[in-house]
Amino acid sequence: MAIQLFQRLVQAVILLFVISIVGFALLRLLPGDFAEVLLLAQMDGTLPDPATVTQFAQDNGFNDPMPVQYWHWLTDALGGDLGQSFITGEAVSSDMALRISRSLFLGVTSLATALILAIPIGFFCATHTGGWIDRALTALSVVGMSIPNFWLALLMALFFSLFLDLLPSSGHGTLAHVVLPALVIATSVTGVIARFVRARLLDELSQDYVRTANAKGMGRLRILLSHVVPNILPSTLTLTGLQFAKIFDGMIVVETIFAWPGIGSLLVESLFNRDYPLIQMCFLVIASGYVVINLVVDYLITLIDPRVRGAI
Amino acid sequence: MLRKTPDNQLRTRSHWRRMPLKGLVFLVVVLLCIWIPFFAPYDPQAIDILNRLASPSPSHWLGTDQMGRDVFARLLYGARITVGSALLVVLFAGGIGTLIGALSGYLGGFLDKVVMRLCEGMSVLPALAITMVIAGVLGLGLWAVIVALISVHWTEYARLVRNMVMVEKAKTYIQAAESLGAGRFRIIRHHLLPNIAGPLLTITAFSMSWAILSFAGLSFLGLGVEPGTAEWGRMIAESRSHLRSHPHLVLAPGLAIMALVMAINLFGDAYGDRLRGTHTNPLKSRRS
Repeated sequence: MAIQLFQRLVQAVILLFVISIVGFALLRLLPGDFAEVLLLAQMDGTLPDPATVTQFAQDNGFNDPMPVQYWHWLTDALGGDLGQSFITGEAVSSDMALRISRSLFLGVTSLATALILAIPIGFFCATHTGGWIDRALTALSVVGMSIPNFWLALLMALFFSLFLDLLPSSGHGTLAHVVLPALVIATSVTGVIARFVRARLLDELSQDYVRTANAKGMGRLRILLSHVVPNILPSTLTLTGLQFAKIFDGMIVVETIFAWPGIGSLLVESLFNRDYPLIQMCFLVIASGYVVINLVVDYLITLIDPRVRGAI
Repeated sequence: MLRKTPDNQLRTRSHWRRMPLKGLVFLVVVLLCIWIPFFAPYDPQAIDILNRLASPSPSHWLGTDQMGRDVFARLLYGARITVGSALLVVLFAGGIGTLIGALSGYLGGFLDKVVMRLCEGMSVLPALAITMVIAGVLGLGLWAVIVALISVHWTEYARLVRNMVMVEKAKTYIQAAESLGAGRFRIIRHHLLPNIAGPLLTITAFSMSWAILSFAGLSFLGLGVEPGTAEWGRMIAESRSHLRSHPHLVLAPGLAIMALVMAINLFGDAYGDRLRGTHTNPLKSRRS
């Protein structure tokens, strides 16, 4: 297991390296001279004269070979310095930690909501196949996959905050603010997870070990909890890990609609302001965050599944 | 066994009869997109301020929007942009991804390792976020969004095609072709690709629905199409402030997106079931 985990770790480090190169290239590949773009932003849009640009490029090492520039950029970035925002002039990393924590909170709440809904529904449908709830689940998951999440967010805001006046439709701070965004994001993944749990359960329930346990006179609940659940847990966890990326895609739109100040809405804002250092920061945070999440999920699976643990 | 065969055939045939019905919805939409000017009652950009926010009536089937433009005509023209862009994305991402995936799977070696690391790396990341970053660097226009979607989406095809090719490669007919001296590209073109074409179409259906949802989402946020364009996501974004007083302005484009995506998903489901040889109605459970 140690070797396998080490391989994963090496892969993750390579991936992080590639991500950092892409992030670095993102700013340098901009149309126009990079020194001029930076100066333009610092001087509030007045066109700098060529001599100043040359001097600025010289001072900041923009004439060095690319690998040298990359090295300087990387050491700065690892020290937390990724330049200043074009718009506010503040360091792009200034309130990043706060934004990350808010996005993480929303993402984890959404995923937890999805799991709390999906797992019981999946279990119920697998044990009551053909019932109306089972059929409703299949129909609902098709709808859930087809519904545009930004539209659903607007409808939920219309219904719950404009008509019923139950929940706030924008902002953050109280727990009530999380409910609508989390529900919207959760709908897109609940159907997928519930259907997966149902299919996996049905597969396992027809296995010989379940029949043996049944023949021994074991209770239905105990068979489920002590035999079936450990068998479906690793694959469910893998699927859940894959849904994480989908959750962030939903979060970009939902954070923007519900004015939730996280990474997703920051990305949208910086795109429209053409605030390239901030876009770069968002890209680096999102991409490296996902590499780390993936690594953690992989590690959890090896912890849970003795077959994977013993394989190497 | 003997008794079962005709039953199976019957099922397959009845399924074939029902299959086009699901595909038909999509086909009708595509044809509509081409012939829209014949159906659209009004010019989608014709502004009629005196008649703004009119309720649905015989002359304006879905009423008019905040600028007095006919919503029904805008819906029809909106299909053109959304479906057209999504088709472009699927065509190019599918083409590039299939080619690279097939080469990578069949040739193996160093190329395979590099391509697969790249695709796995991409599959971990949130696709929409990366698309937005690429589109941001390219300049946020319609072409920037399409190119960004393609450059993110091809990896999905490459990964899936590569896995399918790996399975097919081990089968005897490929070995037979190889021992007869067929060239690599001949094998890929005449043996491998036709044999994975079926599952590939199922993937294409789901990737089409992903492309439509992503494109609509991006234009809702304001990326891609210009403000004021008759595009479904944009229409929803621009009618947002009238959500409470005129909800149908937001409802209609959203329902259009949902109906189209659902039709494509069901088509993909039905086609996939037919390929697997099982006949399941998505609304009926597997083991009832």
